[in-house]
Amino acid sequence: MADDRPHARGAHRVLAPASAILAALLLAATLIAWSSGGGSLDLPWAPALGLRLHFRLDGLAVLYILLATGVAVAVFAYSARYLPLHLAHGGRPAGESVRFYALLVLFMGAMIGLATAQDLILLFVFWDITAIASYYLIAYDRHEAESRWAALMALLVTGVSAVLLLIGALVLQAEYGTFSLPEILEQVRPGGAVTLAGALIALAAIAKSAQVPFHFWLPRAMTAPTPVSAYLHSAAMVAAGVLLIGRTYPVLESSRLVLDGLVVVGVASMLVGGLLALSRDEIKRLLACSTFSQYGYVVFLYGLGGPLAATAAGLYVLAHGIAKSALFLTAGAVTEATGGRNRLSDLGGLARELPVLAAASGLAAASVAALPLTLGFFADELFFGAALERGAGYALIAVAGAALTFAYLGRFWIVIFLGARQGGEARAPRLLVVPVLALGLAALAGGLVPSPAADLAADAASASVLGPAEASVAYHLDLRAENLMALGAWALGSLLLACAGGLRDPLMKVASIGARLGPERIYGGSLVALNRLSDRIHDFEVRDLRTRVASVLMPAGLLVVIGVLATPSAGAYTVGSIRVRDAGLVLALLVACAGALATTVPRRHLTLALVVATVGYGLTAVYAFIGAPDVALVAVLVETVLAVLLLGVFSLVPADVLRREAELPTRATRRWRDPLVGVVSGGVAFMLAWGALSRPVRGESIAAEHVRLADDAHAKDVVTAILADFRALDTLVEVTVIAVAFLGVSSLLRRGRLL
Amino acid sequence: MTLLFALAVGVIFGSGAYLLLKPDLFRITLGIVLIANAANLALVTSGRERGASPISATAGEAVSDPVVQALAITAIVIGFAVTALLLSLAYRIYVSARTVDLDELSSAEALRAEEEDSRELSV
Amino acid sequence: MTSVLTVAAARLLMAPILVVAAAVLVKGYADVGDGFSAGVIAALGVVLQYLALGREEAERLLALRLIGPAVFVALLGALAVALIPLARGDALLEHAPAPGADVVELGTIELITAVAFDVAIFVLVVAAVVGIVRAIAHVAEGEGEGGQ
Repeated sequence: MADDRPHARGAHRVLAPASAILAALLLAATLIAWSSGGGSLDLPWAPALGLRLHFRLDGLAVLYILLATGVAVAVFAYSARYLPLHLAHGGRPAGESVRFYALLVLFMGAMIGLATAQDLILLFVFWDITAIASYYLIAYDRHEAESRWAALMALLVTGVSAVLLLIGALVLQAEYGTFSLPEILEQVRPGGAVTLAGALIALAAIAKSAQVPFHFWLPRAMTAPTPVSAYLHSAAMVAAGVLLIGRTYPVLESSRLVLDGLVVVGVASMLVGGLLALSRDEIKRLLACSTFSQYGYVVFLYGLGGPLAATAAGLYVLAHGIAKSALFLTAGAVTEATGGRNRLSDLGGLARELPVLAAASGLAAASVAALPLTLGFFADELFFGAALERGAGYALIAVAGAALTFAYLGRFWIVIFLGARQGGEARAPRLLVVPVLALGLAALAGGLVPSPAADLAADAASASVLGPAEASVAYHLDLRAENLMALGAWALGSLLLACAGGLRDPLMKVASIGARLGPERIYGGSLVALNRLSDRIHDFEVRDLRTRVASVLMPAGLLVVIGVLATPSAGAYTVGSIRVRDAGLVLALLVACAGALATTVPRRHLTLALVVATVGYGLTAVYAFIGAPDVALVAVLVETVLAVLLLGVFSLVPADVLRREAELPTRATRRWRDPLVGVVSGGVAFMLAWGALSRPVRGESIAAEHVRLADDAHAKDVVTAILADFRALDTLVEVTVIAVAFLGVSSLLRRGRLL
Repeated sequence: MTLLFALAVGVIFGSGAYLLLKPDLFRITLGIVLIANAANLALVTSGRERGASPISATAGEAVSDPVVQALAITAIVIGFAVTALLLSLAYRIYVSARTVDLDELSSAEALRAEEEDSRELSV
Repeated sequence: MTSVLTVAAARLLMAPILVVAAAVLVKGYADVGDGFSAGVIAALGVVLQYLALGREEAERLLALRLIGPAVFVALLGALAVALIPLARGDALLEHAPAPGADVVELGTIELITAVAFDVAIFVLVVAAVVGIVRAIAHVAEGEGEGGQ
């Protein structure tokens, strides 16, 4: 729906700077709050269910908020230039950018809430908000079928796993009686329920962070516009998964099984992601594979356990978030500058024309590849240290992972910026390059003065492991193990880079096998299977409903009759007395019955409608005589509206169609079957009603109670009191049914247009 | 009195069931209306006591059971909503299939299913 | 098809019908009537306008554009009455004032949240029924037949 009103054009120009300023303010506020010791907010939310709005700004929260708001500033600045170009390419009105910024700001808010939430259900709510915002952002280019497919995939994978998080929360609540995280984490002891909860929470986290085997949604999500990929899929949404792990770490830590599982998943993601990234041609897909590979490092570290590993994980998230978003923004800028080229095979030699971009992205790439003078170097130093602490095998895996990272990042940067010049002129607008430069310089600054970042990571780790953690990072020019491992990784990586060309084909083959047999296939297959199941059920049940109904009604009726006759029932049926003043009641009943019997006669629809209305009005009189005036009032009004409705709908259908129905001769079989079924079912209803109505009144009924309590409810009409007070929940559900029926009628009669 | 109520319920229900078996979508809807009416009647008459209406009841007076009345009101209104929905559904079916006869509809659907099967086999 | 008398009578009756509906709603707590009946009475008044005046006249007479959203606003209102007590620590749908407490009276009407609930139901029923009739009228108009 186009939204190109004149004032929208002006409004959207304010949005980007306004959002960037908002993000910057939040960043500053967080820093100030952290330096003054953090704070917390604790409000009751739903005391009956034990939920509280409990937010706390601790080290872990600060780390993720810093990432979420800091990268947001860069992304908003970038979008100010990128989004108009993107919309112009698709021929879409500029007013659509409102949706973009609104969703991104919503996402940022949800990340802040997620980072500071201390109540499991609150956490789950923010978790789902990020999933929903991500759905709309990935499908920002709504007209592209691939975008919609990717958005649905992301939503289903992260949404279904969110249910696992909820179940885990409920298991913890059943075990410890509270949803509040600080209380649970204090009391955690190893045990079956805790292991189950830990496993479920870990599953939700790895699905969110796109770890193997849930990694397939992330490369697909690259159909989103570049700023979205830079924000969500490198620094925010996928970070939420490891945030959850960090937040609930004591629960996961209590079970060796869960931690080992995390190690396996982390290693698998590291290697799979690295190998895929080495073979990808499209630059954003390459970066996506790199992202889940890097988060594999983090999951691996959390699986290793211990304060050093947790500190390394925190520092890794920070370093990766900064650098990877810079690389995504670079990819977008490069594509924009070269007029739409997004494959490595089409790009080359851009360093001459885009020197600033080359340098900035070089810094970012160096940070992810853990070269010295960047924050990533220290992240890797801690990473190697933690792996070494646990054993030589882990150290070897760590080196292999780092080598892969070095190789594919080297390939990325070298191919794009060095080498033979491909394509025509390349010009990148300044505002697309400056954010990349800012992030790259941040990575450089972290490399020169690592202690603030390291302290923050240590703070985050101590919030995770509930114990002291410290990180002393500095340049050591000696032959300590970490340095050796780093050198080994670079050497191995350079070797891989050199034979990258030769390796590509076998890697592509492996990747295609994975696509054919891997988890993505399972996802697609289950959706198709669900559709088919629904079609099958529809065919089976609905094909000829009436015959099925009749074939069920008859035997059921006969069985009930036999049952009723067989059970001893002497004295169970009372005829009841008829008083003289009930004459009106009897008359009304007779009218209703006569009307009902008369409905079998008319052939024309109009007459039939009026006869059915007669039955309704007769029953109204019955209700009035019986001492139920409220019911009578509603019945007469509803009957009137129904009559109007019937006449209205009959007037919509052409007369000849109705006449055709009216004059249809009944088939021979039907001529005896229908009345028989009518009589039998009527008889059964009669028996049941008689038996029910004959039951003797025993003791005091709820009715008397209601009459007594009506006074307390400030009501004199007990029925209204019941409807609006005692049983108001029924009424609420009923009005929902009315609203839904209205929706249904509206859309059915107006061919899908709702209101 | 109970016998009379039960008889009325039976008669109305039976007529509704008879209409329900017709091949005409509108008659089916009206059959459902009748069955709903029968159910509501059974509901209201199943009240424990019968007496004056439950408004400004003085203590000790026999008062009609208000709980079933409230339930019946809910049932009547929901029945109306469902009927409205069914009627629009019938109209919509008419618009897309140009008939409101269930026999014609089911034979048309069977025909279409056969075509689809044969098309799948040939491919 | 409709004579001048019908048209005039219909126009004149709209206001009294609304008054009757409001009366039934308000005295629902003390006498016969509740949110539903009042809602359907008001809706019938609107339907009368449609029947007597035809679709265009009726829509010009009454401001019916907001009927659709009105259904959901009323539903939200009813939900609010249901869920706000949760936030205050009471159970779901616990009405204020509590039994035995003082009640603010506006003439003979008592201001309790149950009345607010009833009003929400009233609005919803009116909007839903009118919406349904309106949908039929729109289709009838679209097919070139006179709306019935």
